[in-house]
Amino acid sequence: MKHKNLILTALAAAMVLTGAMGSAYSYFTTNAEAAGAATISLGSRTEVQEEFSNWTKHVTVTSTEDSEPVYVRVKAFCGSEYSLVYSDSEGNWTPGSDGYYYYTPIVNAGETTTNLDVRIENVPADVKDAESFNVVVIYETTPVQYREDGTPYADWSVKLTTGTTEGGE
Amino acid sequence: MKGWKKVLSKPSVTAGAFVMAAGLLLFSGVGGARAALNYYSETYSGRVQLQDIGVTLTENGENVSWRNYTEDGSWDQNTGTLLTNLLAEGESVNPGQKYDEVLAVKNTGTINQYVRVSVYKYWLDADGNKMQNVSPDLIDLHLTENGWIVDENSSTPERTVLYYSKLLNSGETSKAFADTLSIDPQVATKVTQTTATENGYTTITTTYDYDGLQFCVEASVDAVQEHNAEDAILSAWGRKVSISNGSLSLN
Repeated sequence: MKHKNLILTALAAAMVLTGAMGSAYSYFTTNAEAAGAATISLGSRTEVQEEFSNWTKHVTVTSTEDSEPVYVRVKAFCGSEYSLVYSDSEGNWTPGSDGYYYYTPIVNAGETTTNLDVRIENVPADVKDAESFNVVVIYETTPVQYREDGTPYADWSVKLTTGTTEGGE
Repeated sequence: MKGWKKVLSKPSVTAGAFVMAAGLLLFSGVGGARAALNYYSETYSGRVQLQDIGVTLTENGENVSWRNYTEDGSWDQNTGTLLTNLLAEGESVNPGQKYDEVLAVKNTGTINQYVRVSVYKYWLDADGNKMQNVSPDLIDLHLTENGWIVDENSSTPERTVLYYSKLLNSGETSKAFADTLSIDPQVATKVTQTTATENGYTTITTTYDYDGLQFCVEASVDAVQEHNAEDAILSAWGRKVSISNGSLSLN
């Protein structure tokens, strides 16, 4: 009998508590979620090709398959007794006030620029050794920058921020 | 004490307590049902109005994820993926460019509701591991703050919690809480250089720190009923709010 009373009391307490719990969880709620990701691809690798014929250097620059889109500029140097004349049959190279020739189109991964011809002028008629003419071609690339509306542009003043530098022999 | 024991041990007292407990339980149940009837009697239109809550996250006007209570007592739910249409096929992310990323919340239930959104942004390495040392600030998910209140106390550099200040009626879509996404062009300027000398030649290799990293955006939407919303929000979300004429403010 005593146990029966205890059980009834416990059951009564449980019922009261259950009633209270019911009201605490009676709010209607729901939720939904979604996530997404995209990969950043950076870094460029380009190579310059030079062919020499008729006292003219034919310069092209190639971007490798995994390279990000870049802009290219080229400049050539030689001794002061000679002069260099640039020409471009495709009309893609534009002279800048700094002496560089700027390739107007974007060079995407795997693409090659059209020729920039650099002709050496005032070459003496009796010169037989072309190796004595030291014409140095310098080329630079810069990753394509984008304005907010997606318009691409070149920023040749971009400076890279170095995180860490590791040395080696 | 002894007297109380004697009283409590009487079968009639125990039975009485049991009857009172049963009465309390029944009364609380009737109370809930009565409250529901009072509330829905205002919109009664000659048919049975069910209390189905439902919410949907939309991206650029498309339903992405939802969880809706249905008439048959089950949940219709879907968890979608964001940013799937961010780029055309073969296109890569251009740092600096703003992409459309209009995110909003739609009430897809039959009852009005208050909503909040938790927006997360973070970086993953090439293996999919979360990176703690790369700033989420470089992921610029532009928050409109138009109709949405930022809960500064709950927000971190990685997470922003937003409360919609208005009641979201059944079938209504909120104002967008985000409209564009862009990656800070700074990611294209941070590099690590390795210098190696071999046979008298020095080679400097430059590696872009952010190359191959993934930026992630996550949005989690919570909705709660209009009825007793202040208590419901405190109970469900643990946040004290005030609601006046359907307008929500944070306490």
